[in-house]
Amino acid sequence: MLVLAGIVAGLWVATKRIDYTWRWNRVPQYFFYNNQDVKSATFAGTVAKLESKGNVTTVTVHNENGENSTYIIDTDTANLKADEYLLKGDSVGSISQWKAGPLMAGLWVTLYISAAASVIGLFIGVITGLCRVSQNLTLRQLSITYIEIIRGTPLLVQLFIFYFFLGTVLNIGRMPSGIFALGIFAGAYVAEIIRAGIQSISKGQMEAARSLGMNASQAMVYIILPQAFKRTLPPLAGQFISLIKDSSLVSVIAITDLTKSGREVITSTFAVFEIWFVVALLYLILTFSLSQVIAWVERRLAVSD
Amino acid sequence: MIKTVDLEKVFFGRGQEVRAVDGITSHIKSGEVVVVIGPSGSGKSTYLRCLNGLETLTGGHVHVDGVDLADRKTDMNKVRREVGMVFQQFNLFPHKTVLENLVLAQMKVRKRSRADAEIKGRALLVKVGIAEKEQEYPTRLSGGQQQRVAIARALAMDPKVMLFDEPTSALDPEMVGEVLEVMKQLAREGMTMVVVTHEMGFAREVADRVLFMDYGKLVEEGTPEHFFTNPQEERAKLFLGQVL
Ligand SMILES: Nc1ncnc2c1ncn2[C@@H]1O[C@H](COP(=O)(O)OP(=O)(O)O)[C@@H](O)[C@H]1O
Ligand SMILES: [Mg+2]
Repeated sequence: MLVLAGIVAGLWVATKRIDYTWRWNRVPQYFFYNNQDVKSATFAGTVAKLESKGNVTTVTVHNENGENSTYIIDTDTANLKADEYLLKGDSVGSISQWKAGPLMAGLWVTLYISAAASVIGLFIGVITGLCRVSQNLTLRQLSITYIEIIRGTPLLVQLFIFYFFLGTVLNIGRMPSGIFALGIFAGAYVAEIIRAGIQSISKGQMEAARSLGMNASQAMVYIILPQAFKRTLPPLAGQFISLIKDSSLVSVIAITDLTKSGREVITSTFAVFEIWFVVALLYLILTFSLSQVIAWVERRLAVSD
Repeated sequence: MIKTVDLEKVFFGRGQEVRAVDGITSHIKSGEVVVVIGPSGSGKSTYLRCLNGLETLTGGHVHVDGVDLADRKTDMNKVRREVGMVFQQFNLFPHKTVLENLVLAQMKVRKRSRADAEIKGRALLVKVGIAEKEQEYPTRLSGGQQQRVAIARALAMDPKVMLFDEPTSALDPEMVGEVLEVMKQLAREGMTMVVVTHEMGFAREVADRVLFMDYGKLVEEGTPEHFFTNPQEERAKLFLGQVL
């Protein structure tokens, strides 16, 4: 606690020296902002009905052709009277709504990309991990090749290849490209974690299962994988936390995730320090929540220890 | 019940070959209790594991109930469900409760309903004397209790023959008795059993026949009286001199 206070104090002194003005008050509007939506008449007519219900008012406009149109506006912006004549385009009133700002939208995109890529990564990883320990030489070598290629090249390069090459050839958008690139990237690491997990289960377990007459896949599904899964939970958690952080790289292929939203907000506010701190905090919230969920699952599974 | 003809298992590893089982011809008859003894490393475990196909043979034949395990078309899973096996290290499934350990294979392999499998499982737990532990996880049990669960688990599949690989060697001395007691009861009920053990008392009391192995070969076989009182082979005499 003392150390933390020291760091904060140090930072404060440092920013004082470079004359940085903190504008924290500018930050909240990029989470949620109050959007004033002005409603204007779509055709000329007279106000037929004004119905106030609490904060909102429903205005019905009627013209000589017998057409009706209704507008929902905030009561305090309604300064019309019944039978008042409106021209087309005249303001009827406005309604304000709370809307998610760019940081919220970016957070959501990051969450969505990470979740989708995790599911894909887990799926690919389990299959590849199983191939990696299978008796079949071809399967084993295929999986090793995949793992080596993915682990031996930078994620950034893989993202570009997916976006510019596969995205163009297969004609898929940037979002699926990004998700698949991340999923396939994570899959290689998950595969190695799964392989290590399976191999950490003593051979006796497989032998006991087989000597009861289970076939290889039954033994895998009911005996080996549940135990391996429990053991691989901590490293898997680490992998998925990495994935959340690595997902920030998709901003290079113009996906507006949390990182890219942050950059965009900075260009309009110049609140460089504040926004990056906030972005970091948001990533921290995501990763911390994930590790809490996994810790909970681990505790649940620990009953048989 | 089980016949082996010139059974051979050679391990190749690091440039050298180990003839773990080297030409064993034996016949285990239905209802018979056969005890296999021999020095450590003589191939007893490997011999036993060949009988249910846990090891792939490198030569010879194993016939279980007339089915040849050396035949590549043989469905090993079908054979194994008729041959129960109990391991030195118990090998219970640690993520399943005791009862689940007994129920799982019954449901998945024998296709029994959960209700039937549980009835059978509970009855066997009563038989091996740990009915009160059915909801415990294996790690909470003592070694002797775990081994009795392992025996019950194998019995739940209604095997025609039971193989035991040093079932009491990993146990504290005070727990050996309870496991041997269960095995003796099984023998009395007429179960066909092949038991690898260093418990000479058990061999004397229960065995119909003793096989003595050394260097992967079947050196001597005979009734316990014959074997323990009047062994013919030099190596058998030497071994008995050490263990008795
Ligand atoms: N999987 C294996 N790979 C290589 N050698 C083995 C393997 N299993 C057993 N052996 C060797 O086979 C021989 C017989 O082993 P084992 O059947 O376990 O003997 P025992 O059970 O009588 O002590 C030993 O020399 C052992 O080192
Ligand atoms: Mg052995």
